[in-house]
Amino acid sequence: MLAGPSVRDVVVLDRTELAPGVVLLGFYAPELVAVTRPGQFVMAVPPGGERAATALAIYEAQGERASFLFFVCGARTRELAELRHGDKLSLTGPLGNGFTFAGARDVAIVAGGVGIASVLLPAQMLVEAGARVRLFYGARSVDFLVDRDRFATAGCELCCATNDGSLGHRGFITELLAAAEDKPDLILACGPSPMLRATAFVASELGVPAQLALEEAFACGVGGCWGCVVPLDRASPQAPKFPKPAGDDGFVYARVCKEGPVFWAHELRW
Amino acid sequence: MSLGSTQKGACVPDLSVRIGKLELPYPTLMASGCYGSGEEFEPFADLSQIGAVVLKSVTREPRLGNPMPRLVATPAGMLNAIGLQNPGIDWYLDNEVAKFAKRPCVVIGSVAAFSVDDYAYVTQRLAARAEIAAIELNISCPNVGSEGETFACDPDLTGRVVRAVRAVTDKTLIVKLSPNVTDIAAIAGEAESAGADALAVINTLRGMSIDVHAWKPRLGNVSGGLSGPAIRPVAVLAVYEAARAVSIPIVGQGGIENATDALEFFLAGASAIAIGTANFTDPRIPIKIVDELRAYLAARGLRSLRDIVGKANVGFGSPFQYEGDVG
Ligand SMILES: Cc1cc2nc3c(=O)[nH]c(=O)nc-3n(C[C@H](O)[C@H](O)[C@H](O)COP(=O)(O)OP(=O)(O)OC[C@H]3O[C@@H](n4cnc5c(N)ncnc54)[C@H](O)[C@@H]3O)c2cc1C
Ligand SMILES: Cc1cc2nc3c(=O)[nH]c(=O)nc-3n(C[C@H](O)[C@H](O)[C@H](O)COP(=O)(O)O)c2cc1C
Ligand code: FES
Repeated sequence: MLAGPSVRDVVVLDRTELAPGVVLLGFYAPELVAVTRPGQFVMAVPPGGERAATALAIYEAQGERASFLFFVCGARTRELAELRHGDKLSLTGPLGNGFTFAGARDVAIVAGGVGIASVLLPAQMLVEAGARVRLFYGARSVDFLVDRDRFATAGCELCCATNDGSLGHRGFITELLAAAEDKPDLILACGPSPMLRATAFVASELGVPAQLALEEAFACGVGGCWGCVVPLDRASPQAPKFPKPAGDDGFVYARVCKEGPVFWAHELRW
Repeated sequence: MSLGSTQKGACVPDLSVRIGKLELPYPTLMASGCYGSGEEFEPFADLSQIGAVVLKSVTREPRLGNPMPRLVATPAGMLNAIGLQNPGIDWYLDNEVAKFAKRPCVVIGSVAAFSVDDYAYVTQRLAARAEIAAIELNISCPNVGSEGETFACDPDLTGRVVRAVRAVTDKTLIVKLSPNVTDIAAIAGEAESAGADALAVINTLRGMSIDVHAWKPRLGNVSGGLSGPAIRPVAVLAVYEAARAVSIPIVGQGGIENATDALEFFLAGASAIAIGTANFTDPRIPIKIVDELRAYLAARGLRSLRDIVGKANVGFGSPFQYEGDVG
């Protein structure tokens, strides 16, 4: 039997700035690699740090090395961005329920900005399983469409969009998804919440099921504080089975860290 | 940074505490609402090495909880506005409580309500269960409109609710106080004379954060409760003042992250501590604190944690030399 999630200190192997403020941080973690499923995340913090840990998707997981791909947007990601080869990092995980895509033949993966961090593992697994994978990848400008060669090398077809038109379609990536020639049989998405909402809309127009990896603010990351919730249809198999309160209108708040972070788009009530 | 070493003397200092009828092997409680029912943290922390888990507060009726977002990171801490999302006492008793028997640590129930009758009703039902070792009365939740907290903000209401609850259970009763008051000593005294066995000091401080790009409050509930190191000095003073007003034990809490922080609370007059937000940094922190407290006492030849409770000395002189932070 494989070990479950745990808390451990790991050592940083490499650090690369792929674009201004976008950091790829590799670390030595064979046990984590062995148990990680696509779409899962960890809570990461420099040891002895004064701040709560940050939720980060597991970007690469191969052999003895796993990595994060993150955007420096506040105090905690700034602290993580300062780590260098040989520094330690405390990790709790892997956590959450990942993507499920068994049997899918033609998958559209939609990624916005560093949302790309959640979708490398599913893309690799799908290609390996013989599925057609199209990556719809959007960002501010070409510089922020980081690491796209890796997806191409992995066997994905790339469709890109940028806000400024510096590469691919000028506009939103979900516009490309809506205009795609043949309909995928499954959509997986991760990115900023306006992009996820747009993806949910396009998916329902196309009549294609979509799984969204959400990135709400977290505190504990393990289901202990009920801080990271989204409104979810009570009928969803992922919904907490609480009784209905007075004035209930069919949804219950589910924890993104525990019941998620991946939810079916049509079951979210946001 | 010297800790001393425990091996030096043969004697291992005693960290056990007594809170009402509860005997805890360690003085570390996991704060209500921050640690689920313990189960969530079991893969990451050896629960047999913590004093007790205080469960998330439960109410009479099921509650949906506050709209999202419920969390905001703030300097040296965080704001939360969960709004007591819980399944209500009936479902809780039928579906949750039996599982608590499996925890390798003491389990303390937490009760929240909006009327004196409901406090007594929920407490009576929860305390009747063998899995629940003691009850913490959350009369200080800042996130449910003004209703929840008013109990802890008014000595008269505090007295009424504690008396009503005291009448329905013999189990240890810990009353959790709010820092959002003018005179915490008066409220503490009232809770003691109404029959509380112990006090939890403090719950979160009220606060707000605004997104200046969107011109909107960052929390769905507008206001929230501030926790973490940002509130520690407020909490230490509250413990100090409450401890002078009562003779029942105090569970100090608010921003404790390491043994040095914990020692401040013990010296201010707390008999035990609770750790909430620090678990979000690293779930190993509570166990590390216990190890470091033991080393601190051993290095000073002290046999029991009880020897330092309330010993913060006002005036000149100290039995010890300054040695910097512990751990
Ligand atoms: C399951 C999960 C997986 C995640 N994976 C990744 C990842 O792989 N790479 C990555 O870069 N980030 C990821 N995130 C988001 C990341 O956790 C946050 O960006 C991070 O916690 C910010 O911490 P901070 O202290 O640096 O900034 P904070 O001080 O917390 O925030 C700084 C600013 O950024 C904004 N902000 C915070 N979080 C987000 C967000 N998710 N989206 C947009 N704006 C935000 C805040 O509103 C604030 O204005 C993930 C989040 C979750 C829940
Ligand atoms: C996310 C969160 C949820 C909380 N929920 C509760 C609760 O349900 N009942 C309660 O009595 N206190 C609750 N608290 C308050 C904590 O138990 C604790 O008293 C407070 O956070 C101060 O300690 P800390 O700084 O170590 O977190 C909550 C705190 C946080 C951060
Ligand atoms: S972050 Fe605590 S329950 Fe999800």
